[in-house]
Amino acid sequence: MWKCNACNEPLVVMKTQFSYMDRSFTHEVERCPKCGKVNIPLELAEGRMAEVEEQLEDK
Amino acid sequence: MELENFTVLTEKCHKGKPASCTWACPFNLDVRALVEKAEKGKWQAAYKAYRTAVMFPAIVSALCSEKCKEHCQRAQTGDGAIDVRRIEEACVANAKNRKPDAYALPPKNEKIAIIGAGIAGLSCALSLAQKKYEVTVFEKESGWGGALRGHESFESFDEDIALQFSAVEARFEFGAELGTPSELRIPNGSGTPSELHSPSEHRSLSLPQGFDAIYIATGENGEDFGLLETFDENLLTTAHPGVFLGGALTGANAMQGIVQGIKASKIIEAYVQTGKPLEEFTEKEASPRYLQHKDAEHATPIVPASGDRYTEEEAKAEAARCFKCDCNECMEACEMLGTFRKTPEKIAIEAYTDLKATPPYSTHTLTRQAYSCNMCGRCKAVCPEGIDIGEILRMSREARLESGAYPEAMHDFWLREMDISTGEASFYTAPNSKADCRYVFFPGCKLGASNPAHVLLSYDFLLEKYDAGIFAHCCGAPAYWAGDKERAERNTAVIIETWKALGEPIFVFACAACMNAFEALQPEISRISLYELMAADGIDASETGAGWTDASGTGADETGASGTGADGTDESRISSGRTGAEPAEGEYNVFAPCNSRGNDEMETAVRRLAARAGARVVELPEKNLCCGSGGHMRAANPGLYDKITGKRAAMGDLPYIAYCANCKEVFGARGKECTHILDIVFNLPQSRVPAIHEKRENAIYVKRELMKKIQGADYAPDQREWESIEIIASEDLLAEIDRKLISLDDVKEAIWLAETTGDKLVDEESGACRCSMEKPVITYWVSYKVAGGAYELIDAYYHRMKFSREGV
Repeated sequence: MWKCNACNEPLVVMKTQFSYMDRSFTHEVERCPKCGKVNIPLELAEGRMAEVEEQLEDK
Repeated sequence: MELENFTVLTEKCHKGKPASCTWACPFNLDVRALVEKAEKGKWQAAYKAYRTAVMFPAIVSALCSEKCKEHCQRAQTGDGAIDVRRIEEACVANAKNRKPDAYALPPKNEKIAIIGAGIAGLSCALSLAQKKYEVTVFEKESGWGGALRGHESFESFDEDIALQFSAVEARFEFGAELGTPSELRIPNGSGTPSELHSPSEHRSLSLPQGFDAIYIATGENGEDFGLLETFDENLLTTAHPGVFLGGALTGANAMQGIVQGIKASKIIEAYVQTGKPLEEFTEKEASPRYLQHKDAEHATPIVPASGDRYTEEEAKAEAARCFKCDCNECMEACEMLGTFRKTPEKIAIEAYTDLKATPPYSTHTLTRQAYSCNMCGRCKAVCPEGIDIGEILRMSREARLESGAYPEAMHDFWLREMDISTGEASFYTAPNSKADCRYVFFPGCKLGASNPAHVLLSYDFLLEKYDAGIFAHCCGAPAYWAGDKERAERNTAVIIETWKALGEPIFVFACAACMNAFEALQPEISRISLYELMAADGIDASETGAGWTDASGTGADETGASGTGADGTDESRISSGRTGAEPAEGEYNVFAPCNSRGNDEMETAVRRLAARAGARVVELPEKNLCCGSGGHMRAANPGLYDKITGKRAAMGDLPYIAYCANCKEVFGARGKECTHILDIVFNLPQSRVPAIHEKRENAIYVKRELMKKIQGADYAPDQREWESIEIIASEDLLAEIDRKLISLDDVKEAIWLAETTGDKLVDEESGACRCSMEKPVITYWVSYKVAGGAYELIDAYYHRMKFSREGV
């Protein structure tokens, strides 16, 4: 289980604002409830995020 | 050329345009499509297409003057032209159902009179009747056919006419004598006959009344009602509005008459719909389009075994001889164009519409393709008209960047590399404390980064033989390929300033890519390839290479890890040819890079150098293909990059000789045995492909060594705090992050940031840490474990989108 090192808080799933190619959208990812630090695992970055990036680049 | 003129960019493209036979055919018959159907025995479909084009298939297939034969491209191979007419006859003979289609159009109110039931009048009448105009044909004879009535095959022609009119409504007035009052003097509103006054003869003639338009096709020497003098042969008009002429009356033969009748139907329709005649009527392009078929196999014309007609099989065989001339040269030659399957014309249109699209509400349609191009120039080289699709796509990249709506991530990696080569690795000097020089070596960013020995030993040669200076910098290709005009111009300004400072010397290139970039960006600078100078001067490896290993203070590297910094020390970055590496004897395939296309001097020199070193060169089936690295399309289309690099690596079974550092790197990364021509010249051992961070180290090493040797200076770049971090990782993991285009430098920096600020995630159970580092374009993530004073790497990855830490 991931914790924020600075705040010593376990991460919780929260809505997070993402942006790319002049478009913004929200997605739920693990974050530190105190400082907002985000956790993006490899599977998300190279999976769904890469797919969305490609879709937005093609628009 | 600007993208705004997009139609000009591809207007000469042959793709999808009428073949030369179609151009020659008075009916504009799509011979290519017809013959394709015939070859497959699709007689019904072939017949339908033929019928639509010629109106009277049995008549035309019998009487056609075969203009197509004069323009058939089969003749290029020395074989006879395709016998399209006999194939057309076979379409008529073999179609199971020749009954014409009845068009479900609403009837129109306009009434059209056709005077003359010869083939010209009939084709106009049939065309208009198909469109549901109310057509009346007046004919003085007792039946239709006009001059064809005396033909020996009239029986079958008569049958064809009856068949084609069987699906339309048209009224025929046979035996109608023009000028007699009873039938044709149709009273107008005032009760008096309509009189048409010929402007020349001032005689009054009678024309049928109550019609919205009249087409007069009364045959050779037929009645012209005094209108022939004012006949416009393009628009078919006369001095009398609404009255048009055509057919043998105007000098047309039977085939031309049919064509004219079809054309007249269009002109008449436009007239009755708008109330005024057309101002122009464009029929076809000015000249036919021809392709190159020089490599095509011969095919002897099919002659009917008995009689004058083809059997079904004979017609299919003759159809198979047809080239179906449609240009696919670029689509077949280029993997990228073949993947996206868009015609050059469509690409040019989309490049323009993308330019006009306003984000985020408009949709760009060309992005992936524009950024997937290798910019290798192959499309232009194979195109019969020299159309440069790569340049259109490069302009599209430029336009997208200027608009601000462009995917920065697709070129970020190479622009960051350019930052290194134009920044901390950039360096120039004239030789031997002089102010200027006649030659300056421009090794480019890749050569020294991939193997410092290539630059240092080559410079030795140039210094000794040509008293050359050196200019380590970027040619500008990464910015040019990214469409970053401003950055390319800034780089050009630096290059021009340096060139002038050195007394405007001739630039000596080891990479064809740099040479080409200079031609595009800095054309005023004279250029020559290193290999030409080496071949001309009879360089001998045993005479060169002195000084560099001594300069590093260690002598030769026995490990053979030349140029790679395999153990991270300067000593391992260079070894001279005198260390006992195997000579280049043996057979090689030369992989001529895309950028040396047309550079015969460079290509010849490389082969001479290889031969002189004892290498036997076997040419690959094709030259000047892009290895895959061109255009920096890897980040935009990794799948296509893999496909292209894989195909190139498989082109030849022998080890390759490359003379572009990019090619060498691509093939090395794929495990294809490949040696650089400079390895052969200097008798250097095989070197492995350096990792991304090693390339930066190599480039800086080259600069330091050159400054030390030429200027006696000690160059020490600013030490970055994370450089001393020790990373523990398997070879496979390091190769994997390199494949993702992540530099170990970025990994170290991210860890250093996390460890110095404490801004990281921890998993207490496994002891793993995870951190991120946001660079202007890419956000990097690293998972690792603290292992004493070192860091054990778990994985590294990135994403292009940004996230916010707000909203907690």
